Amino acid sequence: MKKLLLFVLVLAACSAGGPVDTSDLDDLPAVTAAEFDAHLAELERPAVVNVWASWCLPCRSEAPLLDAAHRRFGDEIEFIGVDVQDSQPAAKQFLSEFGLDFTHFFDRDRAIPNFYGGLGTPITLFFASHGELVSTHNGVIDERTLALNIDELRQTGS
Amino acid sequence: MEFTLLWAVLTAVALTWLGLRIWPDSVPEGGFDRLLGGGMAGLLVGRVTAMTLQGINPITSPADLIVIRGGVHTGAATIAFIAVLSWSTRSTRDALDALAPAILLGLAGWHAGCLWRGACLGIPGDLPWAWALEGSNVTRHPVEIYAAVGLAAAAWLVSSLDRRVWLRAGTALAAAAAIRLLTEPLRPSITGGPTLWYWAGVVAGLTVVVAGWRLRRPTVTAPT
Repeated sequence: MKKLLLFVLVLAACSAGGPVDTSDLDDLPAVTAAEFDAHLAELERPAVVNVWASWCLPCRSEAPLLDAAHRRFGDEIEFIGVDVQDSQPAAKQFLSEFGLDFTHFFDRDRAIPNFYGGLGTPITLFFASHGELVSTHNGVIDERTLALNIDELRQTGS
Repeated sequence: MEFTLLWAVLTAVALTWLGLRIWPDSVPEGGFDRLLGGGMAGLLVGRVTAMTLQGINPITSPADLIVIRGGVHTGAATIAFIAVLSWSTRSTRDALDALAPAILLGLAGWHAGCLWRGACLGIPGDLPWAWALEGSNVTRHPVEIYAAVGLAAAAWLVSSLDRRVWLRAGTALAAAAAIRLLTEPLRPSITGGPTLWYWAGVVAGLTVVVAGWRLRRPTVTAPT
C-alpha cells in the first residue's frame, strides 16, 4: 500500500505541469454585450459561443471537446470563447493549457451571458448566421449534445 | 445544476432491478449490489481514462472526476465493469450468464433515459416516427430509442437461450456492442465515436461464446 501511495505521489509530481509563462501573449480583447452582439450580426456563418472561466471546473472538462469540435468544424462554424469574471493572466494560462485556438473575448462583468439569458458557467450558445440565437445549453456540454447542435446549425443555420 | 443525467442513470438502475426480478434464475445472492458495484467501478475507470486521454491529469485535478459529462471512456468502463463483476461473482460459475439479461435491460434503460435528457435524436431523417428539436423543422432519427428497443429485445433473446456456460454472457456482450455499432452511424459525432471498441466487444462476445462451448465439449480420451 505504501509503495502504491509513493508511486501515485511520484506520478503526480512528475505530471503536474507548472504554470506556463504567458506574459508575452496579448490580453484578451474586452467587449461589451452590445459590441459582441454587433460582432455576431456581421458573421456570415453560424457560430458556437462558449462562455468559460479559468476557475470553472466543468470548463476544464469540456475544453478538449471544444478544441476537437473547432478542429473538425472550424471551417464551417465560427467558434468564439467568452471568458467571464476572470483575470487576464489566469485566462491566458487556461488558453495555453488547453490550446483553444479560436477567438476569445474578455467579459469581466458577465454582461454577455446575462444579455443572452444564460445561467451559470459554462454556457454554450448556438447562433445561426448573422447572430440569431438558436439554442442555449447551460452547464457542461457532452459530445452528443454539442455534435447534435452543431449538426442543427449546419442543416439550418447558414 | 442539472439532474437529467442522474435521471437517466436512475432509469438504468431501475430497469436492471426489474430485469433481476423478471429473470431471477441462478442470480447470485446480492446480484443487484454486485451490478451496482461493477457499474460504479466502470464509471470511475472510464472517467479517469477519458480525462487522461483529454490531457487532464486525474491526480492533480481530482475534482474533475465528478464532471461525468466531460466524458467516460466506453472501452475502459466496460472492461472495468466486467472485471469487477467477474471478481465479485467468482464463486458462482454461471453468475455472469444469470445476470446478462438484466444488464442488457439496464443498458436499454440508460438509452431510454435520453427522454429525460432531451438527447434522443441523431442525424436527420424523414421516417414517420422521426421528430425535431424544439424550434426546428429538421426531423431526426430517435437513435437512442432505436438502441433502447434493440437492447430490450436482446435482453429477451438472451434470457431465452440455453443455460450453457458463457453462452448468455457472451451473446449479451456481442449483442450490446453490435447494437451500439449499428446505431453509431445515426449519431452526430465530433470524435467519430468509439466504433473500434464496439467491434472489439462483438469479437470478444463471440469469442466468449465459443470458449464456453469448447469448455463444455466432452473430452475424448485415446484408447490405451
